[in-house]
Amino acid sequence: MTQDRPGKNVSYSQQQKLRALFWLGGLALACILSLMLSLLTGSIDVVIADIWQLIQYQTGLSHSPVNALSATVITELRLPRSLSALVVGAELALAGCLMQVLLRNPLADPYVLGVSGGAAVGALFSIMAGLGSFWVSGSAFVGALTNLLLVFGLSHASGVWSPSRLLLTGVVTAAGWGAVISFMLSIGEDNQLRGMLFWLMGDLSRATLPGWHGLFLLISLTISALLARPLNMMLRGELQAKALGVAVYPLQITLYLLASVLTASAVTQAGSVGFLGLVVPHILRLSIGSDHRLLLPATALAGACLLLLADTLARTLIAPQQLPVGVITAFIGVPVFLWVLQKSNRGTI
Amino acid sequence: MNTSAPLLQPRNLGSGYLVKIFVFFLLGCSIAMSAHAGGIELQDDLNNKVVLPQPAQRIVSLAPSVTELLFSAGAGSKVVAAVDYSDFPEEAKTLPRVGGYTQLDIERILALRPDVVIGWKSGNHPAALEQLRKLNIPVYITETRFLDQIPTTLERFGLMAGTQAQAQQEAEHFRNTLHRLKTQYQHKTPVRVFYQVWNQPLITINRQNLINQVIEACGGQNVFAELNTIAPRIDVEAVLKANPDAIVASGMGIERPEWLDEWLKWPAIKAVKNHQLHFIPPGHIQRQTVRVLLGTERLCQQLEQTRHTMDGQP
Repeated sequence: MTQDRPGKNVSYSQQQKLRALFWLGGLALACILSLMLSLLTGSIDVVIADIWQLIQYQTGLSHSPVNALSATVITELRLPRSLSALVVGAELALAGCLMQVLLRNPLADPYVLGVSGGAAVGALFSIMAGLGSFWVSGSAFVGALTNLLLVFGLSHASGVWSPSRLLLTGVVTAAGWGAVISFMLSIGEDNQLRGMLFWLMGDLSRATLPGWHGLFLLISLTISALLARPLNMMLRGELQAKALGVAVYPLQITLYLLASVLTASAVTQAGSVGFLGLVVPHILRLSIGSDHRLLLPATALAGACLLLLADTLARTLIAPQQLPVGVITAFIGVPVFLWVLQKSNRGTI
Repeated sequence: MNTSAPLLQPRNLGSGYLVKIFVFFLLGCSIAMSAHAGGIELQDDLNNKVVLPQPAQRIVSLAPSVTELLFSAGAGSKVVAAVDYSDFPEEAKTLPRVGGYTQLDIERILALRPDVVIGWKSGNHPAALEQLRKLNIPVYITETRFLDQIPTTLERFGLMAGTQAQAQQEAEHFRNTLHRLKTQYQHKTPVRVFYQVWNQPLITINRQNLINQVIEACGGQNVFAELNTIAPRIDVEAVLKANPDAIVASGMGIERPEWLDEWLKWPAIKAVKNHQLHFIPPGHIQRQTVRVLLGTERLCQQLEQTRHTMDGQP
């Protein structure tokens, strides 16, 4: 089981390369298929020919008229939402994976340090004030960053920094946000309450084209690829990592910032979609091992597919009625996770 | 109440014999209900018996719509406290509060020594109402599912508060106006209507909602009537598919919500193509009170406008 001692692998063996290619290629293919499925399902009938025509038209290959309704449904509704689902899913899964390494705790998820709590307070405040979706997203982002600085500052305040100190500070701060959220829910007005609950359960109906969130995801993936090797060494414990030349403290700070900002970006777009960030990294770790060079990109891809599939179900399962996507992620994720856990005989969890 | 001025006109004109006979019949019922050893005995909307030794002088209202109906029934001066958001008529705004309708301050209600508490089934917590009953406070529970219930409720409120005359008059006015609107519009060319409660999330109503009856009274057809929850959440695609003739929205307050114009980017919808995006203030259509007539009158006119655009099409 070479991948359990990844620190020693200075370069990929031929077999490892094939394996990585197989997994990443397979997951990428799954994402493309999920995207097709998402673009083709909904209340309005859209067929593959419509999409093909639209692509040809957009790229200037053809000037034949496209079905106007299908075209707007794809470009205005389904495509922005689907791309957003892919980006949010990838961000949450990646953030969860980084958080689990940082806190050395299998129960860690992107929200454990209160980022989503801070974002929720911001978003709910804007909803209560009757502001538009731009402000809801904006204040969610501000809330998330406030939490990031607050937890970081508090866990450093005494001059002693450790992941467990960070975890405790974060968990308690999250509980504080939880209290504020409960208070806001109990004084909210009916019409707003529905919007607030959907935000809290995670909902992609507000999603627009991911824009800078997508760019940010790509940057984060690049950074995490650079961190993969030191992360592999961290798995063997802080002391060993130090001995192997890893600058542990800067690495932890980077992990914290990266995971927090990824989470902030995700919740800004979709609210607090639960569960994904906890379970996707575990499923992948159980299936492909904990070599972060493969694990990090694979986790991002798997999170992207899972969220997109879940969102497609959320909007079509009882159509025309809509469910919050957070409900569906758990419905799919729980059995998949338990199944992978049952058939796995690795000792990683 | 000057907003309802145009509706006051037909009050004494009546709409014929049948209505009057109906009113006398109801009057008879009220008298029958009240004739009980000098006290008042009546049934609430859940068919529970409510007994008052004499007309109530101290009433606590547990719903904004109840507060409004009490004022319409002439019992406004007998309301000693109400829940939050009791904002109509103007006098209701200054009433002492007993919390929000989902979170009642039972102690404060008790301290007010009410003769009767009027609750709201789909708003108040059942346990809270039960607790009030256990404290020997008479509880009357409202649940308005039909427009016809509004005048009946007015009459019952009048009976409980001893203001039958005004309640009766208001109830008769309600029945006459509704009858007039229905006669005028109900059987015209059906207009397919999408009623938008809210945009984020996108919420509409099904046939169980009172708004559905307002739409039908005006000869409209709610495109989402058949869904199985009372305020279902839907998506934009469902509206595109339903392709309504008119879109009617309410929003938060008395201003037309900005988000109503978000539909403009979907000219494929008939309502958008024909500029049939209408606004009705929520207080005139979402509350189960006398003001629903204002909303009905307005909607009927709006749908009439929509009919003209439909006539122009093949």
